[in-house]
Amino acid sequence: MTYFRLVPLLWRRRRLRFECRRRLSDWRKNAGIVKTADCVINLFWQLFFGFHGLLLICLAIHYIQKMFLSIWHYLHTTFFRYWLKWLIRQVTGKCELQRIFHSFIQGATRAIKTEYSLEASKSKVLRDALQAKEDTVDNHITQIVKQKKIQLEKDAEFKVNLKVCLLQICGYKKLMKNVEDLRKQVFDSENDEHEALLMKLWKLLMPNVELDSRISKQWGDIGFQGDDPKTDFRGMGMLGLANLVFFSEHYPEVARQVLSHSNHPKLGYSYAIVGINLTEMAYSLLSSGALKPHFYNLVPGSPQLEHFQRFYSYLVYEFDKFWFQEEPESIMLFNQYREKFHEKVKRLLQQPSVLLVLTLDSEI
Amino acid sequence: MHTATGWHVLCHTVSQTWRGLLSILRKLKNAPDQEVRILLLGLDNAGKTTLLKQLASEDISHITPTQGFNIKSVQSQGFKLNLWDIGGQRKIRPYWRNYFENTDVLIYVIDSADRKRFEETGQELAELLDEEKLSGVPVLIFANKQDLLTAAPATEIAEGLNLHTIRDRVWQIQSCSALSGEGVQDGMNWVCKNMNAKKK
Repeated sequence: MTYFRLVPLLWRRRRLRFECRRRLSDWRKNAGIVKTADCVINLFWQLFFGFHGLLLICLAIHYIQKMFLSIWHYLHTTFFRYWLKWLIRQVTGKCELQRIFHSFIQGATRAIKTEYSLEASKSKVLRDALQAKEDTVDNHITQIVKQKKIQLEKDAEFKVNLKVCLLQICGYKKLMKNVEDLRKQVFDSENDEHEALLMKLWKLLMPNVELDSRISKQWGDIGFQGDDPKTDFRGMGMLGLANLVFFSEHYPEVARQVLSHSNHPKLGYSYAIVGINLTEMAYSLLSSGALKPHFYNLVPGSPQLEHFQRFYSYLVYEFDKFWFQEEPESIMLFNQYREKFHEKVKRLLQQPSVLLVLTLDSEI
Repeated sequence: MHTATGWHVLCHTVSQTWRGLLSILRKLKNAPDQEVRILLLGLDNAGKTTLLKQLASEDISHITPTQGFNIKSVQSQGFKLNLWDIGGQRKIRPYWRNYFENTDVLIYVIDSADRKRFEETGQELAELLDEEKLSGVPVLIFANKQDLLTAAPATEIAEGLNLHTIRDRVWQIQSCSALSGEGVQDGMNWVCKNMNAKKK
């Protein structure tokens, strides 16, 4: 950082020196003298005194630092970790999994530590347990108990604890796959189920208004872009529609309240489009694994699609609140505020005790 | 298996470090690029954001409708292209004019398969070309979605929109598919060749 404090001073000097050098080189050019050494000196000068140079040196230090960190990480994961684990096992007589279960109560920290421990294990039996299905979990547990020579009479809870953790870890992966499958389904006007779901959305949000026809300007009232919503689901496919319907169906009051907010003359936004956009946010948080702590704290078993959709509902409700608190100048600033909101949610998800559930404010 | 993975990660980071250091050297050698402001406009669902992400070599499978705008910078042929992708929803079209100032090139994207809205898109384009702030700005029209069977060919669109009547600026129509990337580079080559003379 000290480099940067120097920058304004150096900058002024640099401009002066530049001017001199330019005149000199102009003169040289006119006189037909070009020194090769000049180029080398110029490079050095730029590197050590120019604003660019300072910035780039900082960057270089950063890169080298990163390299050393990764060398340390490599040594740690390949050698030191195992030596340390072996030593602790000899002293305490407990394996790493047992120590995790004894030190942490059921929830995100425990499940995440278990996941890491299994992932980093040298034993194939333990690594394979991460690929368990709901019906093969018991089998994997028996194998782990055998492999790690765990005395169940001394640690009766072990099996139950491991089962919950495995179900959470594998359930998250399965949920990711289910959500991905739903997302990949493109909204198809020929498909009666898809069409019925779309009409259901209309009825849920506008129970007192009849839709003139399937293709109508009225779709704009619930925040679609044009007369036909089918082009608005895009990369989120049926997941976008399913989420919109879920929110309106399970939180009808909140949904209508958010919809009426979205029609605000000054702070209004497109309800359905923003909903699809927030589906993307929920989806990317799920895919990156950022949602793990939330689900591990929420469900002592495998999380289901419903839990994902409840998280989506949380996002919609909270985003609406956030938008009206921030009072953006216009809808054109949507992406900036979306990013701000995204960062906020990501920060919350980094807390080990995180639980993001839609809770209504008393004012409703 | 595990050690191999660790080793790979290490090799990867070392090579990344080298690449980082090399890019620093390269940056030192080259002067900073000339900046160019490019505006991407068109109706909703024309494919502006897909085009933007394609140009920035980003993943295009999770795109959602644009509320507001997206901006990305791309290096190309010694230029730094600042691409502004503004949402095309009817509700936010009035905001387009806030982005006209200092535009070097206008890229107008058309969904070639959406014949029902050719008239609407033609009208919007005509209005853009009448804007004072955009007078003389070169315009590239992307006849997008050529990967669809129902897409109208670029010549048909050019005729339908009476493009040949544009006399106050250089223009070009380029058929492309933002999804597959076909034709996109040709269009961008035209952009780099025809941007306002002062930039060159």
